[in-house]
Amino acid sequence: MVDVRNVRGGDGLEPIRAEIDELLDSVVASTAQATEAFFASYDEDPDPARLAAWLAPRCWREIDYVYLLNEEIARYGMQFERRHITLLAKQSFQEAEHYDMVGKAIESLGGTVPTSVPAEAEPWSRFLWECLDRHPLAAVAAWNLSETSASGSFEPTFRGAERHGLAEVTRIYKRIETDEKFHVGLGLQMMSTYVKNDDDRAEILRAMRGMRDIAWKTFTPESVSAASA
Amino acid sequence: MTGTWTTLEVESAQPCATDVLTITLVDPGGHDLPTWTPGAHVDVDLGGGLVRQYSLCGDPDDPRRWRIAVLREPAGRGGSQRVHDAVRAGGTLPVRGPRNHFPLVEADRYVFVAGGIGITPILPMLRRAAALGRPWTALYGGRSRDSMAFADELRGVPGGDLTLVPQDEHGLPDLPAVLGSPTDRTAVYCCGPEPLLAAVERETAHWPAGTLHRERFTATPVVAEGGAFEVVLQRSGMRLTVPEYEPLLDVIEDAGVEVENSCRAGICGTCLVRVCSGEPDHQDDVLSDDERERGEVMLPCVSRARGELLVLDL
Repeated sequence: MVDVRNVRGGDGLEPIRAEIDELLDSVVASTAQATEAFFASYDEDPDPARLAAWLAPRCWREIDYVYLLNEEIARYGMQFERRHITLLAKQSFQEAEHYDMVGKAIESLGGTVPTSVPAEAEPWSRFLWECLDRHPLAAVAAWNLSETSASGSFEPTFRGAERHGLAEVTRIYKRIETDEKFHVGLGLQMMSTYVKNDDDRAEILRAMRGMRDIAWKTFTPESVSAASA
Repeated sequence: MTGTWTTLEVESAQPCATDVLTITLVDPGGHDLPTWTPGAHVDVDLGGGLVRQYSLCGDPDDPRRWRIAVLREPAGRGGSQRVHDAVRAGGTLPVRGPRNHFPLVEADRYVFVAGGIGITPILPMLRRAAALGRPWTALYGGRSRDSMAFADELRGVPGGDLTLVPQDEHGLPDLPAVLGSPTDRTAVYCCGPEPLLAAVERETAHWPAGTLHRERFTATPVVAEGGAFEVVLQRSGMRLTVPEYEPLLDVIEDAGVEVENSCRAGICGTCLVRVCSGEPDHQDDVLSDDERERGEVMLPCVSRARGELLVLDL
């Protein structure tokens, strides 16, 4: 099967490729573990409201990406090739679709779709936007790591959803899983294409390291408990 | 940024071998140019709709100037003729880049094979290998000694084994001599005309996958980009015509056959299909060299056919 981490672009990431791979692998593992833990807790207490609460920060991520991607285009788009502007816009559209789809799943569980940043997603959102202010590629790096983190949640989500007969959640996340391969590949291609020097690489690593420490946390059962408290 | 066009000044334009013009480009304001790494190329707008890619063949550590070398190709499509006829010192050229789709990978030793003007991306690679203290072997062939650009510069690179092979004196390069025995952690780089690439591909067929890195500097002998071809969807029992400029995936979907997809840009790999027969013209950004070589799968969102017919497992 195709590995989007091998996407072709420039060679700008080569000096830091090993650390990027390590960061991405690490956050995938952390997110998978957190998701497994959540569904283990859900097995013991299958309250639909808890699953809706778990999905809420996921849902917010989708719409926050829409805002962020469009701001990335507005601020920095003319520094990129036209095809990358098009693909960022396409990613934005897909994130909007995901917000709608995850929103419907939340509503089907009796929950409320977030229309402002949930408290448990605030550190994630704040860091993402701070990265956008710092550097044209920092937000790309941060969302790339965050999107990669989500890939660690898919298999545990599919297994958990199957145990509880949540076919719609599975269907939605199958679609998101497909699109996120594109988003991860696009981010890596853009970074490797446009990074020019060590300063750019330092910003990318800063963004990825920072997001690695944040991205997986809202997948834990503790995050849901704190949000419900 | 590398995606925008910039007008650079031609500092010099001088012959360096028979029918080869070396051009150095500088920023008109004296500013540093974007950094680049061995294997990088730039797009050059020659006017009249002619945009050509040329490998950077100067010193990556010199931020003030880029160097390219252009072979006059009388049978070409006009780009090289225009360079030779119109580019002069003191003039300007719109340039975009650099980009690098042919980067030098980490390896314990390197084997470089270049044919003719294909030496241009190889020269800075060879210097980088030498600077890193890695052993290298280079085989450089050309029509005649006079036609082989940068031969003197190559002789000055330390730490390796250079063999120059003017065809009129020694015939074709002895590829088995340098590629006959695979060695661990060796990267093989090849740039040159299609027959040389094909020969190197054959000679390295028994090397570990991913060893060979190559760049074609002439168009591969295939149907024109966007050219029409036929596709047979084997399981659906359909034969469709893919018109010029229409994506293969669009044609398949228009026929009512669903193919899961997402980016439609050759990045995500979601629309991957198995090729039953025919040769894909891979235009994606994500399949590995090995997958491309085998030609057993393709991404129909961007890729097309090298021949008149493709048969897909759809």
